[in-house]
Amino acid sequence: MPAAGVLLIIGVVLIIGALAAFLLPTIVALIAIAKGLDEAIKNVGELIAKSEPVNDVVHDINTNLDAAVDALEGLLVKKAGLSDSLGLVESVYPGAAAAGLRNYPESTEMTPPRISEVYTRGTLSLARLGREAPIAAASPEGPVLRHVDRSEVATSLLYPNFRPKGVRELPRSPVIGTDSPVQYEPTDTPGVRRSMPGKESTAVAEPPTMPGSPAEN
Amino acid sequence: MILYWLGDAVLILVVLPVVIYLLRPVLAAARGILPHVHAIRDVAAAGSKDLDAVPLLLTTQAQVKQTVETVANFGGSLDVILDDA
Repeated sequence: MPAAGVLLIIGVVLIIGALAAFLLPTIVALIAIAKGLDEAIKNVGELIAKSEPVNDVVHDINTNLDAAVDALEGLLVKKAGLSDSLGLVESVYPGAAAAGLRNYPESTEMTPPRISEVYTRGTLSLARLGREAPIAAASPEGPVLRHVDRSEVATSLLYPNFRPKGVRELPRSPVIGTDSPVQYEPTDTPGVRRSMPGKESTAVAEPPTMPGSPAEN
Repeated sequence: MILYWLGDAVLILVVLPVVIYLLRPVLAAARGILPHVHAIRDVAAAGSKDLDAVPLLLTTQAQVKQTVETVANFGGSLDVILDDA
């Protein structure tokens, strides 16, 4: 065989060797890539399957919370009036009145009154209940639940003299029930009793009679 | 005979370097993709694991519904108890 033929064979072998040296690791790498992608696709499939119901559930939760917020806002405005409602919101969640009430766009242009001068205890009861309402999310100072400064302390600041001063001991709350030591007569009219147990005088103010009522006649 | 030698020279001096020149980046690219694929796999696995708590949303949904119903009952009672503005 001529030397040129030998050199040709050597050249071909070298080229095949180079192809093998580079293509075999490439094939191994591509197989590893395929395996990795298979695992990634499997995990992504799980991710999609797990997140599939999230949209409906969150939408349903939001719908319920929206309904609750609407009802609480409506109740608050019905009982306290729009202006006082803003004052109440501002007092419980400082700064929140600026955003106004959701269903009352005109509330954003109103100036909330000072709650300590306006509110009755009944309205304050609403405020206490409302502390856990979803509207709390609008509070710029974050959640207020069990916040010492803005729970009982803040309430007592509104009515600092609710407990009469100078009274050392107030009468105990009555024990009620069929087996209670002191039996109260049932009343016909709220707030009016024929007699009070433990008192000598049984004269209790009668309810005012309306003109034209049977008692008047 | 001169053509044989010329062909050998071209094969060894031109074709072989060109083959190596072309295959080297292919191998480098294949090896470079591998860490990214592994990273994607790990992230997808972690994301899937993070969503294991999603079924608890069903409990949250039910509890929100109960809470809203309770609030509605409270609101109805307050509507009766308290005077309107």
